[in-house]
Amino acid sequence: MIQLVHVTKQYDRRLALSDVSLEVQKGEFVLLMGPSGAGKSTLLRMLIGAERPDHGQVVVNGKNVGTLKASEIPYLRRKVGTVFQDFQLLGKKSVFENVALPLLVQGVSQTDIKRKVTEALRAVGVEHKREQLPMSLSTGEQQRVCIARAIVNGPVVLLADEPTGNLDPALTGEIIELFKLINARGTTVLVATHDPSVMRQVNRRVVTLVQGSLMPEQRVTL
Amino acid sequence: MMRTLFYLLREAWANIWTNRTTTVVAIFTTAFTLACVGIFLLLYVNLRAAAGWLQEDIKIMVYLDDRAVASTVSELDRQLRADRAVSALHFVSKEQALGEFRTQFPSDSHLLEGLGQNPLPASFVVTLSPPFRSPEAVKRWAERIGGLAGVEKVDYNQDWIDALSTIIRSIELVAIGIGLILSAAAVTIIANTIRLTLFARRHEIAILRLIGATKTFIRVPYLLEGAVLGGLGSACSLFMLNALYELFRHQMRTTGRLRGLEQLTMFFPLSICLLLVGVGIVLGFAGSFVSLRRFDEAKV
Repeated sequence: MIQLVHVTKQYDRRLALSDVSLEVQKGEFVLLMGPSGAGKSTLLRMLIGAERPDHGQVVVNGKNVGTLKASEIPYLRRKVGTVFQDFQLLGKKSVFENVALPLLVQGVSQTDIKRKVTEALRAVGVEHKREQLPMSLSTGEQQRVCIARAIVNGPVVLLADEPTGNLDPALTGEIIELFKLINARGTTVLVATHDPSVMRQVNRRVVTLVQGSLMPEQRVTL
Repeated sequence: MMRTLFYLLREAWANIWTNRTTTVVAIFTTAFTLACVGIFLLLYVNLRAAAGWLQEDIKIMVYLDDRAVASTVSELDRQLRADRAVSALHFVSKEQALGEFRTQFPSDSHLLEGLGQNPLPASFVVTLSPPFRSPEAVKRWAERIGGLAGVEKVDYNQDWIDALSTIIRSIELVAIGIGLILSAAAVTIIANTIRLTLFARRHEIAILRLIGATKTFIRVPYLLEGAVLGGLGSACSLFMLNALYELFRHQMRTTGRLRGLEQLTMFFPLSICLLLVGVGIVLGFAGSFVSLRRFDEAKV
């Protein structure tokens, strides 16, 4: 589902990724660990075509992202759900409207939008907050809305960049459980985090980036 | 599809409403700029119309050879009437020419009496239709007609036609030049307004990009906003111009200055007004497009 082959990326003189090779199978749950500045965000941004590798190949869902035309990138992103640490919700739109946005940009019918948004909100447990504005929600609820938006159009891959960075340990556990649930339904999940407590809760394949280089893999079992 | 369209229209309206002060300022600045273009355009339309009337006054004299027999004259008459360049034709016989000379120059009429016979030739007085009134066309036509049987000479006021033509061309050039410069200014004003909107909504645009919105989907509300600004700016400029025009006419009526010319002045016909609103929309659209291009390049 995800394949990076000898990927290198440099910003000015700083090496963000150095000869990174990684393969994530369909339906896998992979935790991308590493301290801040290790290159995790760069790697995730490459998977959605926001960055292009200087060298190497990035393949997502069978598409070589590095060679995609700018006009093809939106169609790749419709297959890849993204969750961020800072939620990236639209403050002036209701929870329902925020979650409906990915469907709206694809021209999905009103009936389908209602149905899919309701399903997504129910899946993350914030269906009762559908008419509220994001600012009136707790941080945990905001992150749930962000996850609902990422899964509403049934993506094949879910990418999360520090999704628990703003959450307390209890909420972190809830969000991780949510990712596991989404993964159990067949979606490939790649979560980037610097938080070792997440690693302990996930209990899945872990890949570690340090200063742009991939470390030997480990599997955490509680 | 309808939902998407509704969403895009609602977003365009939201942009306008959120930045309403900037929008109103932009509409009025655009209106003033386009009004300046309009003043020159109005001046041009009126001067062009005046030049048209003056051109109508240009008569071409086709003098006939005294030896030309009646059949030759009637054949020439037939040919001139069939000529698509001729819009009006009037025959002046030798006797009529003499009569006119005596009427116009009564003190000099004795000069002709000494000659014994009427020296003035018969002629056709020709008015050419508008497409054939340029100096080159008049010259070509005169040369062609001058070669016909029975024609002695074709005479017209070359200098007057040349001068009029130069004046019209100069006005055209000035109007085009000023129009282009001020249109560019209108585009810049609208582009800056849209840039402010884009900057204010950069986070939202970034989110839309991340969730798979196409460039078109992101751009449409801003293009619509620009088009609305341009259209409203243009409509306001027409209202301002019309008010100025009415004030001008009122002044002319009350002061009695430029008497007679009052009837000659005209405002833009409805078709031109609609065209100018259309131009405003296109300029606004272009302004938005410029800002969006820069925004895309900057990836703010």
